[in-house]
Amino acid sequence: MSKRKWFHPDVPAEELTSSFRSVGELEDTAELRAWAGREFPSALETMSDEDDRESTRRDFMKVMGASAALAGFGLAACRRPEAHIVPFSKAPEWVIPGKALYYASSMPSAGGAVPLMVTTYEGRPTLVAPNKLHPEVDGTDAMVAASPLNLYDPARSRYFLAKGEKVERAKALKILAELTGKKTAIVFGEDVSPTRDRLVKDLDLAGAYQYEALAGAGQKAALAEVFQKGAALTHNYSKAKRILSVDADFLETDKQGPVKGFYKGRSLADKNGDESHAVEKAAKMNRLYVAEPAYSLTGGLADHRAPLAPSQVGVFLSAVAAELGLPSYSNTLTGDQAAWVKACVKDLKAHDGLLVLGSRYSKDLHLLALSINKELGALGKSLHIQDTKSPYGTIEDLAAALKAGEVETVIFATPANPVHENPVIDGTPLCDILEKVSVVHLGERTDATAHCADLHIPAAHYLESWSDTCSTRGRYSVVQPMIMPLYGGVSEVEFLLALQGDVADLYNSLEDAKMVSPAYEAVRMTFEKFAGKKYSQGLLKQLLREGFWNGKKYKSITETAKLSTPSLELQKAPTKGAYDLVFATDASIQDGRYINNAWLQEAPDPITKLTWDNCVQVSPQTAKDLGLYEEIVELEKEEKAWWATLGIDTDSKYKTSAVSEDKEGPSLAAPMLRVNCGSRSIELPVVIGFGQADNTLVVSLGYGQGYDEHWGDDFKGGLPTGYEGKSIKVCDVSSVSVNRGFDVYPLRDGEDYFASGVSAEKVDGLRYKIARTQEHHSMYGRALAREISAQPIDKYGHDVDFAHQLKKVQKHGMDSHAPENNTLYKQQDIKGKSHLSDKIHQWAMAIDLSSCTGCNACLVACQAENNIPVVGKTQVAMGREMHWIRMDRYFAEAPEKKSGDPKPEKKHDSDSLWAKPLEMIPQPVACVQCESAPCETVCPVNATVHTEDGLNSMAYNRCIGTRYCANNCPYKARRFNFFDYNKRNPVIHKNLYKGPFGEKQVGEAPHLQRNPNVTVRMRGVMEKCTYCVQRLKAAKIDAKKNVKDKVLAAGTSSVNVSADEKTLRISTGAVSVACQDACPSEAITFGNLLDPKDKIRTVKSRNNELVNKRGYDLLNYIGTLPRTSYLARVKNPNKAMPGGEKVGQATIHMH
Amino acid sequence: MANIFPRWTNILPLKIAICLGSMALCVVAGFSYYGTPKTQRVGYMPDQPIPYDHELHVKELGLDCRYCHSFVDQSGHANIPSANTCWNCHQHVAKGSEKLAPLRAALGLDKDHAPIEGAKRTPIQWVRVHKTPDYAFFDHSAHVNRGVSCVSCHGQVNEMPVVYHAESLSMEFCLDCHRAPEKHLRPLEEVYNLEYNPKEYLAQHHAALGVEDYDSNWSEKKAQLELGHLLKEKWSVTPRTSCATCHH
Repeated sequence: MSKRKWFHPDVPAEELTSSFRSVGELEDTAELRAWAGREFPSALETMSDEDDRESTRRDFMKVMGASAALAGFGLAACRRPEAHIVPFSKAPEWVIPGKALYYASSMPSAGGAVPLMVTTYEGRPTLVAPNKLHPEVDGTDAMVAASPLNLYDPARSRYFLAKGEKVERAKALKILAELTGKKTAIVFGEDVSPTRDRLVKDLDLAGAYQYEALAGAGQKAALAEVFQKGAALTHNYSKAKRILSVDADFLETDKQGPVKGFYKGRSLADKNGDESHAVEKAAKMNRLYVAEPAYSLTGGLADHRAPLAPSQVGVFLSAVAAELGLPSYSNTLTGDQAAWVKACVKDLKAHDGLLVLGSRYSKDLHLLALSINKELGALGKSLHIQDTKSPYGTIEDLAAALKAGEVETVIFATPANPVHENPVIDGTPLCDILEKVSVVHLGERTDATAHCADLHIPAAHYLESWSDTCSTRGRYSVVQPMIMPLYGGVSEVEFLLALQGDVADLYNSLEDAKMVSPAYEAVRMTFEKFAGKKYSQGLLKQLLREGFWNGKKYKSITETAKLSTPSLELQKAPTKGAYDLVFATDASIQDGRYINNAWLQEAPDPITKLTWDNCVQVSPQTAKDLGLYEEIVELEKEEKAWWATLGIDTDSKYKTSAVSEDKEGPSLAAPMLRVNCGSRSIELPVVIGFGQADNTLVVSLGYGQGYDEHWGDDFKGGLPTGYEGKSIKVCDVSSVSVNRGFDVYPLRDGEDYFASGVSAEKVDGLRYKIARTQEHHSMYGRALAREISAQPIDKYGHDVDFAHQLKKVQKHGMDSHAPENNTLYKQQDIKGKSHLSDKIHQWAMAIDLSSCTGCNACLVACQAENNIPVVGKTQVAMGREMHWIRMDRYFAEAPEKKSGDPKPEKKHDSDSLWAKPLEMIPQPVACVQCESAPCETVCPVNATVHTEDGLNSMAYNRCIGTRYCANNCPYKARRFNFFDYNKRNPVIHKNLYKGPFGEKQVGEAPHLQRNPNVTVRMRGVMEKCTYCVQRLKAAKIDAKKNVKDKVLAAGTSSVNVSADEKTLRISTGAVSVACQDACPSEAITFGNLLDPKDKIRTVKSRNNELVNKRGYDLLNYIGTLPRTSYLARVKNPNKAMPGGEKVGQATIHMH
Repeated sequence: MANIFPRWTNILPLKIAICLGSMALCVVAGFSYYGTPKTQRVGYMPDQPIPYDHELHVKELGLDCRYCHSFVDQSGHANIPSANTCWNCHQHVAKGSEKLAPLRAALGLDKDHAPIEGAKRTPIQWVRVHKTPDYAFFDHSAHVNRGVSCVSCHGQVNEMPVVYHAESLSMEFCLDCHRAPEKHLRPLEEVYNLEYNPKEYLAQHHAALGVEDYDSNWSEKKAQLELGHLLKEKWSVTPRTSCATCHH
């Protein structure tokens, strides 16, 4: 019997929005469709038709027969080996074997701190979650969630190095004493630490500076000029009704104050999550305008977004200033752009506007931004200037001091990698200046700086050290150690204490393990001074328990007398051949510091969906200009038949394969672009960036820190220019970071954010294999992600207001006319008892697309919680990534044609996007726990079955790996272990294919990170999200103890006490799942449907029916009755804007 | 044409079939008997570094299970006591005993209980007797807090001079109880009482419990079932048998 196929219905005539994920989909090629429709595309790549598949099935049986016959030989020893239990000699307080222990701590970050709650098992930190007690908590981002893996990185620095050579501790300390005996300067990271400030004051230093490559030098300079040194800027988004962001990704990579208020301003819910007043709330929703070079996550959430080349920010801001009536500025914009700015500024003026400018733009632009904000009345209201009292100089100050010969030794204690980044200061690269002085490096990685330094000291991870920090608004937060330093690292405070006294006394955590680190006493003293009269032993205990002290904040500065309007030198717009080049912060590895983190490397870039590499992004029009677009889009490669080479010329062409290897498809190989910036040039693979400004190239920094002999394997048709044996350097990197991407720092001057006048040309015949997850696990169907508008929209000539749009959310796509699905599978067993028999707990989840930015925090947190392995670049390229929660990202073009019109020709130039909005919608998809799960019915061994409380569970030990379930999952939420990723190191070149001869990684430090309550899966096993079932179980077991407590309280025999549903129910909010915890925008709601007080009940009723009007079920019409529902995205467009009437209709249909 | 095969070969295929069939049967029967936890695990009695005598400590001295296995009602893992727990008593009792040498080594003490300078304090390596597989998550606290006694899985430990594996602890063993918990439930106060007898308990408490048709001639099994049913109802004990209960 031939396979029955489900044919999706035709695109209805009234559907106008066009949705796409990639260029291939935009151009809609049949080959890409066929390829993406397959479950594991590359496995079937070689199978051309059904017969082919049939024969491999037969081969499989043959091989299975042989292995079954051989299996008997392996039964020699059946006895279980002797195992030991090793209890403590002296039990430490609080540690209960098998139970998690939580500590409040914080992760220092540039300008602030991320308050954390760290989960530890028997002293091993395994997971970080936001500390919900902290008033400034914003959830975590992917980098914070992935930070525990850095702690266990086996490639972390563990030895003292002198000029790259390992030296003994005693000798190293001697060198240190000698070097620090001279005139010494220290360079710290851009984070805040009161203990550091206190200790530095007492040190006899030639200077103290702060440096990180991407920490907003321009903004700092402007603030220092107008206000004072150490002035910092923070936004209060809850006070701003209209926000204009000019290339500021303030929700993710360019944070400028806590963003909780921003999400609150967009929420339609009351305090308890109830959305019955959605219509009133929608009228008060805030509005976000974004103008930026390439899509950022903030741009994705914007109501109006326009592409703006970075060199044009000055022109744009001048126009804004002119519209506001600031003298000496003029609006030189024309057409749609002028109209855009005009309407936007009018709106900003009318409703508490706020301008946010990317922190890395120049000083002058920031001065203008401050003036604009003053004019808007934002200064002091939604924009606060605060005094951080930071006494540190900048990297320019350091360079000046070095040139003047005031410093003989520089100590780099910054998380940055100054030697690799090598900023050019006043025309001289930093490395050249450093040649004349001695360098000491305190760092976690043995990176380029570590190898060049006269002395490198291994640093402790923040989860291993005592320290302190201040949150963005200046709340004192403590950094607590969870574990003794694994590799004998030295923390910054310990290092400073040693400099204060005798260097030889530097704390040695490996030998002085029984002694409390001197850093603890230093931090305690700082807190004592900080808290002043309020200090007490009790307050210290509270600080350690809660992680922060709420007693003091930064003082705000209100004096704005020195604020002046600068005269700007407006730059010319980029043109063909004179491009703008943006040096972007990488969403995975930031400025390069996380390059050793495999979770982050494998987490797909939120916009490009690229893993393990960086690329140059160009807009579709620029790609066309460069002659790349057709090459990227072309999916079918036709070649002349082989007999043509013999001189027999016919017209017939020969198809090499259904989908060419080189093009958008299975083993995608991107064409290369040579970017010339002055005399320097670099070759990079190209990816099309939608919604990007034309003639703008965007590259992210931090990659390309070291290569080995396998680097060339990823290239087709040769090697990039400049690649010779001598350029290979492996010493600076680990197996995770070797051969990863391209180093863009050499193109960058100083701390510039962008370069203009850059030329670029296609490198002919050269391609680079990239691994993108864009088309992996792609779902098809109607109304996958839904969007409505808070303003009336025009439909068939009628205005449809918000209330009506809300009513129709559940009718998008097929859901208005598809008949109710009558499933063959009953929800009862033979006796008529419901399969979902649990009367106490029924689990469900809701994901709010209105606040989801697509930042990957959930994806990484899930990876940490559920022991999900990384698979490496080659496996990702084959579609074998294991993330249980994947982040789909769709683009939607606003309707242009009218119903019935022929398909219009697509315009690609970015100027048209000022009037014709292009929207981006991210959608996290994990297993939706269908009540009628298609996967369960096809499992031959019942390895995936339903639990009584509504989970679609996986028994890994039962799974035999047929993969039928994954084949039958309409949401593509199942992942298969093609290899033993946990046992064989997947990041070593071709290691997975070496079988038992491959390098094992069992016993290496990353295994300490594992969650002991989750099975580590082996090869050949299917896995997927189960709503963190281990947490649910633990919470249920805790609730069982209520019975015992009741007995103790009653003071009678237990037989007299009865326990009902209430006693055994998990108390409201007592259980949460990992993705929900991590989410910075609280987009994920999870809870018990049978608990009337649970927040999930504002979305779904106790019978899993939707009660929130915004709620809808993914692929509802196939009748799977999912437990995870989605809430439609709400946009709040301004109708006066060009194209404003088209925003808010980007419901995604994939056909 | 002459007969190539003699007549007796006619039934040879049948003979071979029967022979192979019975061999296969023997293999299956043998494996299902010898390959199961019932044969493989029950009776496993390894030597421990310290020959700790449960009979002496529990039955004769009356130590409660929870004195040493202190987190059994709080954590999934019933902990083996740390050396300092043993030392609470043994700093006074059986001083200098040869048997306690590993304990003193764990605490860095010599025979006369004087601390040894620079001792390494090697923790005691107890040999694991009961082990659930890595993919099965058994939680002690979930069971003892719901009225399942130690005895149900570990046997009469109070009568074991050397601890051995008393029950099969196979998946079937777990499921038997999860399907019919009444066979094992007892009042919470009696969970750690290893000499508990449901018959005697009912004889004392049947009136207070309101067991109407109580008969003093009930067998121990009958008494357990009656009491078990009553407790199951009262405490809403509904053990799960779906996979995720133990496998995640």
